[in-house]
Amino acid sequence: MTSLLTLHQVRLAGPHGDRLSSITFELQNRERVALLGRSGSGKSSLIAVINGSLSPDDGRVLFRGSALQGLSRRQRALIGTLWQDLRLIEELSIGQNVNAGALGRRRLPWALANLLFRIDSESTRRCLRLAGLEESLLAESGLDRPVGQLSGGQRQRVALARLFLQQADLMLADEPLASLDPSIAAEVLNRLLARDSDGALLSGAKAVVVSLHRPELIDRFDRVLGLRQGALVIDAPADEVSARDLSELYAP
Amino acid sequence: MIHQLRPSAPALALLPALALLPVLVVVLVGAHGGGVEIWVSFLAGAFQPSLEPSLIRALLGALQITLATALTGWGCSLLLGVLLGCLSSERLWLTWRLPSWPATMLRRLLALPRSVHELIWGLLLLQVLGLHPWVAVAAITIPYASLVARVWRDQLQSLDPSGLEAMLQAGATPMAACLTALSPAMGAVLMTYGGYRLECALRSATLLGVFGLGGLGMDLELSLKSLRFHELWTGLWLLAVVSIVLEQLLRSWRRRSVQAQFGQRQVVWFSLLAVLAAGVGALWLQHLFPDAGPLRWLPVTWPNPDSLLQAAQELPWLSMVWETLLLTLLAAGIAIGLPPLVLLVSPTRIWQLCLSGLWALARLMPPPLTVLLLLLSNHPTLAIGALALGLHNSGVMGRLLQEGLDQQDPSVRTALLSSGASDQVSWLYGLLSPRSPSHLAYGAYRSDVILRETVVVGLIGGSGLGWQLLESLSSFHWSAVVLLIATYAALTLLGEWLSDRSRQHWLQS
Repeated sequence: MTSLLTLHQVRLAGPHGDRLSSITFELQNRERVALLGRSGSGKSSLIAVINGSLSPDDGRVLFRGSALQGLSRRQRALIGTLWQDLRLIEELSIGQNVNAGALGRRRLPWALANLLFRIDSESTRRCLRLAGLEESLLAESGLDRPVGQLSGGQRQRVALARLFLQQADLMLADEPLASLDPSIAAEVLNRLLARDSDGALLSGAKAVVVSLHRPELIDRFDRVLGLRQGALVIDAPADEVSARDLSELYAP
Repeated sequence: MIHQLRPSAPALALLPALALLPVLVVVLVGAHGGGVEIWVSFLAGAFQPSLEPSLIRALLGALQITLATALTGWGCSLLLGVLLGCLSSERLWLTWRLPSWPATMLRRLLALPRSVHELIWGLLLLQVLGLHPWVAVAAITIPYASLVARVWRDQLQSLDPSGLEAMLQAGATPMAACLTALSPAMGAVLMTYGGYRLECALRSATLLGVFGLGGLGMDLELSLKSLRFHELWTGLWLLAVVSIVLEQLLRSWRRRSVQAQFGQRQVVWFSLLAVLAAGVGALWLQHLFPDAGPLRWLPVTWPNPDSLLQAAQELPWLSMVWETLLLTLLAAGIAIGLPPLVLLVSPTRIWQLCLSGLWALARLMPPPLTVLLLLLSNHPTLAIGALALGLHNSGVMGRLLQEGLDQQDPSVRTALLSSGASDQVSWLYGLLSPRSPSHLAYGAYRSDVILRETVVVGLIGGSGLGWQLLESLSSFHWSAVVLLIATYAALTLLGEWLSDRSRQHWLQS
């Protein structure tokens, strides 16, 4: 069976040496992966290589067996990212920002209509609910609020709802908890990782990769990838990763 | 499901382009077959400009007049504008422990010269002073000085007064306190806004030439009217070279002004430069027109109340004002909406480069010449004027939009591209969206400029107050001239007020 994602001998050069070197792993459906490592270890670079915003200097990245660079727009839309800086569009409303998640499946006329009208679909609200946005903001007038007026936690939820609306098979999250207080962080993580009784992710994704700087959260994941100076030094089921492995990973 | 119209900032940046539809329909319906041949020879002229030595000599002579006029007008307006700006700042009067009402009075008084376009000033002064090289200089200096005064005064008023107050408390003299506390921040204003006004002065000097006040504009107009397109293009390319050199100089100047740390030095250097420009320009004009002699007032019969009343009853107010406002709306729509619309067609680097060339050409071509060119293949309509004015201002808006987009953080666009959005959509959401509030804010300012400029195309295109003004000036109907200028001033002041409010809204959003 074809893996959802395959990285083979991936190298990404940087101004002061390789940012990633010889990264090789495969990702299967239903996997929830924690990507760990110190700051500057290459986590964000790896996420950017997987979503195609950075091209590796060597090696191959395959999504469902096809090279990433050759993917069509619709196939590309099957890889979604929750960016560390969220990358919301400040000039647009909550509804318009969430709808931007569908831009990979839509054409220019729809994109223009989203800027001109309130396109209020049930899926927009469902994704916002799934992301945990409070009911008051789900009212018609709430969806028209510019995202610039929202708190940090609310903005995180709008970005999460946009990711859910993208209906990606592979969801990537780059340090999604970095600027959140612990209670909101735990809730955001739950919403990304929650499964139904059949074991499928509630977000609709087939697999999820979350980069973290808090190793105490790995028990919520199935698998751990550990990066150190751009190299993959841990690739193991989460329950097999020991405290010693983690302390070595984070050692100065 | 689509519920309600809720246009966002990027949609509002694109929607004004709808003004192109009625304009193009009228222009295309009104076009006649003979025009195609004329347009082909006009475009062919761009690639085969005349290189006849006598023509180039004549054009270089005319260019010197334009440059000397622009330089003198710019230097004088900057010096006068800064002085008037200081005098109309209530803060400075209060610093000297004087009542501030003279500043308020002066500020209100300056609204009048500001509201009248330099072309109207030129035509008026031509009537009362006759043809003289300093007429064009005065026509540029009067409105420009009032514009500089307004910007200078607004900046002075908006500065944090705490530093100034602290120095006064510490016993510093008002002059020393102002120079120390206020001038550092004013240096950058002078560098950026003053530089921008030099570009405007070159455009205005060319434009005044088109209406007979001498210089390159006059030669361009004569070449166009006699359908000598090869000669026309020689002049246009010459103007293009000067404009591009000036733009590049000003760009590096602005870049240096951002890096500069000592605003006081900038103020001093810039003031010296303005004095030098005015002096060099004046000597240059003297050299070009050694027999010009001093300015003399020609006899003018000023209108009395009875003749004013009679003129007021004769003039077709409703149609004039309506046409002027419609011309402004259509031209502003084209100027604001066209640049983002054509960039959206293909947001690739090569297309952007092509458009940069087109914007430069649009800025270069004085709107009256575009009107004349369009009239070679069309009937005179309001749409022709709107198209010419809209295209010219698109050149200014397009360049600024492109510069802004080049400086825009590409991270949102990268994110959208990685999620499968197309090039166009990722450009629309990732680059145009963040840029659209400032584009709209500048569009509001530009609409105000366009309202002033309607007189320029109205004079030729046969529409609005401009047309009526030309008729009245030609027949020395001074009562009508006074009323028309007063109406223009009232309209532009109203436009200025609306534009200020709209600009503030977009800059705060």
